[in-house]
Amino acid sequence: MRPASDQAPTVPTVLSALDQVEPRVWKGAMPVQFLYTAGAAGERFFQTLKRKGVFVVTRCEECRLTYLPPRIYCERCFADLSETWREVAPVGKVHTHTLVHVDRQGRNAASPTLVAFVRIDGTDGGLVTRLLEIAPADVRIDMPVELVLAPKRRRRGTLDDIIGFRNRR
Amino acid sequence: MKRKPQRRVAVIGAGMSLFMRRALETGKELSYYAASQALETAGVRLKEIQAVVMATAPDAFDGVHMKGEWLLDGAGGVRKPYLRAYVGGGSGVFSIISGWTLVASGLFDLVLVVAEEKMSSCQPHPQGAFLTIFDHTIERPLGPNLLWIFSLEQHRYMATYGIRNEDIALVSVKNKRNALDHPVAQVAASLTVKDVLASEVVAWPVHRLMVSPISDGAAAIVLASEDVARRLSDKPIWVQGVGWSLDTSYWGNRDLAYPRYVERAARMAYEMAGISEPRRQIHVAEPYDPFAYKELHHLEGLQLSDKGKAPEDLARGRFERTGELPTCPSGGLMGVGNPIAAAGLMKLCELFWQLRGEAGARQVPGNPERGLAQAWGDLMQVGTVAILGVN
Ligand SMILES: [Zn+2]
Repeated sequence: MRPASDQAPTVPTVLSALDQVEPRVWKGAMPVQFLYTAGAAGERFFQTLKRKGVFVVTRCEECRLTYLPPRIYCERCFADLSETWREVAPVGKVHTHTLVHVDRQGRNAASPTLVAFVRIDGTDGGLVTRLLEIAPADVRIDMPVELVLAPKRRRRGTLDDIIGFRNRR
Repeated sequence: MKRKPQRRVAVIGAGMSLFMRRALETGKELSYYAASQALETAGVRLKEIQAVVMATAPDAFDGVHMKGEWLLDGAGGVRKPYLRAYVGGGSGVFSIISGWTLVASGLFDLVLVVAEEKMSSCQPHPQGAFLTIFDHTIERPLGPNLLWIFSLEQHRYMATYGIRNEDIALVSVKNKRNALDHPVAQVAASLTVKDVLASEVVAWPVHRLMVSPISDGAAAIVLASEDVARRLSDKPIWVQGVGWSLDTSYWGNRDLAYPRYVERAARMAYEMAGISEPRRQIHVAEPYDPFAYKELHHLEGLQLSDKGKAPEDLARGRFERTGELPTCPSGGLMGVGNPIAAAGLMKLCELFWQLRGEAGARQVPGNPERGLAQAWGDLMQVGTVAILGVN
């Protein structure tokens, strides 16, 4: 909105600007850490991945949705999906991808990271993941990819068991 | 209150998850348990729900920043108008207030209200997150935690009115015993005043058994407009009044012996509900009891006891389940548990069941027709009040 007169509006005086010095500051932190659970559905997902190297999903027949990551309920209709488990092969397609040059602190990373969202075949879901064994220039949208898992003895039932996805041979 | 709302709103369903120390389930899954149960008891499908309110307290408890949004699918909010109700510990009762505004305004006819907290995520203790609610310049350098507030406030309350710690410990005894009859309760127990005062002192005069536990859990209700409620429910429970108020966040400008913000919130709700004599017209109450003294403190703010007299009323049995004004027949936060926002909504679930005569072993006698639930929180200066009734 324009001021009623032609004069510029008055800018309120900021006290710290008067003495032209940086304000004194002190540091603080929220001293907490977190313990997370994977949940009823997540626990089954990661335990199965660890033991059998496949993804488990749940399905709502009414909404025709297959959930990956799996959920114990359908988010559209609230159907109980806790008895609808099935396994799918850990393969999919690169839905979209990017090459990340800057880290969280805004610094240039030593080597860029190739990141993709991979849709898993036979599901309505997918995973954000790393792409492995491929030059960034060679990645194509909808390229078929397969899961690369950590060796069985090193799997812990967490996301770190998934090293990434690579071109499906 | 500028004008009284014209459109009536009813609760037609309620549900709860277990309250427990550490759940395997995620906050989304806990929310789903409570929300789907509330829908089922209301005979409503998620598809028919027009908007969703989610109450959940500080993000740092679950360890998920913007957790209101994260909880969306578990609360049934996908592809619907959705809002997070948030006034700290007062959020549970604020959730029904928020849902009520959506229906009373005429915007929606069917609203799902969900409340969730998963406090076990926060380590080593949620007190670390509470540290940063204190002013960063004049308080936080001292390393305060919530127990400081409560013990300082309880002591002032005791000193002002000559109240003994034995009188306050009786709240723990009553509520933990009431919770023995609640199927989702986390810390129900049969104890004596002596047991409570024999538990360790966490910050004098507050003992361990005068503090509610850290909990995971969820609760939910379904709200409906009058026409829809009458069509769907044989026994709709009406939201007769709501109120809320925030006092200053400065200790020096607030009365520690008396919660004025609760009085303001209650007076707003009483006016809306047409209540002039709350002690006669409220038949069952669920005042907020995260600490034992708080139930008494709040009962006075709610005008349900004289200032400084709630302990005497308690001692003579007035607040027992079979007393003149049963308070926390659910077992309260002291007995059922305290997943912050969910604990407040649990109180409204309890009123729903009490007023429908469906509270089972917890049922208060005499066919109660009107109940009040209240919560408290934010920077320890918000009061939230809701009054439910059978007509
Ligand atoms: Zn569905």
